[in-house]
Amino acid sequence: MTAIEVNNLNKHYGDFHAIKNVSIEVEQGEIYGFVGPNGSGKSTLIRSILGLLKTTSGSASILGMDALKNGAEVRELIGYLPSEVHYYDEMSSRELLEYSARFYKNADLSKIDSLAEYFQLDLNKKITDLSFGNKKKCSIIQSVLHQPKLLILDEPTSGLDPLMQNRFFDLIEEENKKGTTVFFSSHILSEIQRMCDRAAVIREGSISAIEDIQVLLEKQMKKVRVVFATVPEDKTLPIGSQHEKWNDSKLSFEFVGPVGVLIDWLSKQDLHDAVLVEPDLESIFMNYYQQ
Amino acid sequence: MNKNLYLKELKRNRKNLMIWSAIVIGFTLMVTAIFPYMAEMGDNITVLMDSIPAELGKALGVDADTWSSILGFYSTYYSIYIILLVSIYTASTGATIISKEEKEGTSEFLLTKPVSRQTIVFSKLMSLFTLSLIIFAIQTITALISINAFATSSVNWGVFTQMHLSGLIIILFFTAAGVLISMFVTPKKNFMGIVVGMTFGTYFLNAIGKSAEAVEWISYISPFRYLEITKDPTVSFNYVGALILLVIAGGMLYLVNRVYMKKDIAG
Repeated sequence: MTAIEVNNLNKHYGDFHAIKNVSIEVEQGEIYGFVGPNGSGKSTLIRSILGLLKTTSGSASILGMDALKNGAEVRELIGYLPSEVHYYDEMSSRELLEYSARFYKNADLSKIDSLAEYFQLDLNKKITDLSFGNKKKCSIIQSVLHQPKLLILDEPTSGLDPLMQNRFFDLIEEENKKGTTVFFSSHILSEIQRMCDRAAVIREGSISAIEDIQVLLEKQMKKVRVVFATVPEDKTLPIGSQHEKWNDSKLSFEFVGPVGVLIDWLSKQDLHDAVLVEPDLESIFMNYYQQ
Repeated sequence: MNKNLYLKELKRNRKNLMIWSAIVIGFTLMVTAIFPYMAEMGDNITVLMDSIPAELGKALGVDADTWSSILGFYSTYYSIYIILLVSIYTASTGATIISKEEKEGTSEFLLTKPVSRQTIVFSKLMSLFTLSLIIFAIQTITALISINAFATSSVNWGVFTQMHLSGLIIILFFTAAGVLISMFVTPKKNFMGIVVGMTFGTYFLNAIGKSAEAVEWISYISPFRYLEITKDPTVSFNYVGALILLVIAGGMLYLVNRVYMKKDIAG
């Protein structure tokens, strides 16, 4: 049985096709990445399979059940972490979490305190007084209280500081070890690389590739910025470099290819400073999925 | 019905209910407490009433008898102010009970819980009608006690019961209309203006229709046309009118469910 199976799903808003013939298959127990730039249809797909949006055509099943028809039963098995968290302002975090948990048959209320401590969330504060990051923590706890079989995470780390991001990843890995399937949507490629085995790439509403993360890594471009102590005579850059820009002793370029080649080349230079940056997803797509 | 959601809606609306109950209780007490003073002036007022054009008197539901008994006096205020006050509360609560989740972005939270949309609508309507019945009951009990306290002669309680039963049906009608409006008006709007306009507007449509025969048809748009609030013991309860209003209200709620089932919940 597959965890998620989406077949030729379409969602149109008048003439605008938010998602076009999307098909994906997520196996049980895997952490499946879902990458795409902002506005590419990631959230639309997630919201469609959760029943928030009424799809134009196509089918979606979750753990063997029709997600579009039997939404209520299907959602019993799902933990959902939205990208933007909106909760009832007048409630405290504890009230919100208890209210949320009471909707499920097998929610474990005793987990609230330990998880709140783990994420350093003050349960007595009103939602309206919580920062974006703290609302997110509340949402994370909310998504795992009922031991879901499938976790759907939409931009889960936005608003979390690096320490909390790491704790969050640890929690997700732990849940995954217990058998929970994770559907991880993000526009940050390094997160996907860290967490996932496979990833679907969505662009302008269509799946443009389903890749092994290893392949995605090799395709990944790095932005390189170096400051030379002595500018080399030979200005040829390693194979795989593009868009080079010289500015006196400063050089910036983009590099695609095995990282060893780049390191080799860098080690031969007389440098003051070198920076390798992961480009944003949009520029990666500009490079690889243009056609 | 989802009990969790039902109870949360009751809790969420409890402060508003208390405020509106206080207003309605205060108003009912004030109206009945004034009566003894008005009754003392009875004769003078009869003279005054004779000088008012009959059409205006009809439109406002007052005549010389209005000041002769506490029930007559009370019915004038009940049919205009009290029913409208309670309806404004219930209809505005109805207009926000579903749409508030969308306005504040919490519908994403609610609709990703293991409950169907139908259950959500039903549970919310159940809380709404519970709140409506609570405020109606509070007002009725206040009126019972205070009419009893300030009456100068014996009171025909049968007329009182009929009056309040008609009032209840009109209130339920407006409550359903409030929910329906919220399905078609963008949730960012403040519904209070629409609700006040709807309740007062239909009241005056009925008043205009009653006072001038040429435009009598206009009163049929108003729910007040179907259930007359009167102190006249010879007027019997209008079962047909009551049925018409309840059927229309039921139809409106059915439509609410249909619209909500198909709605896209935006992020």
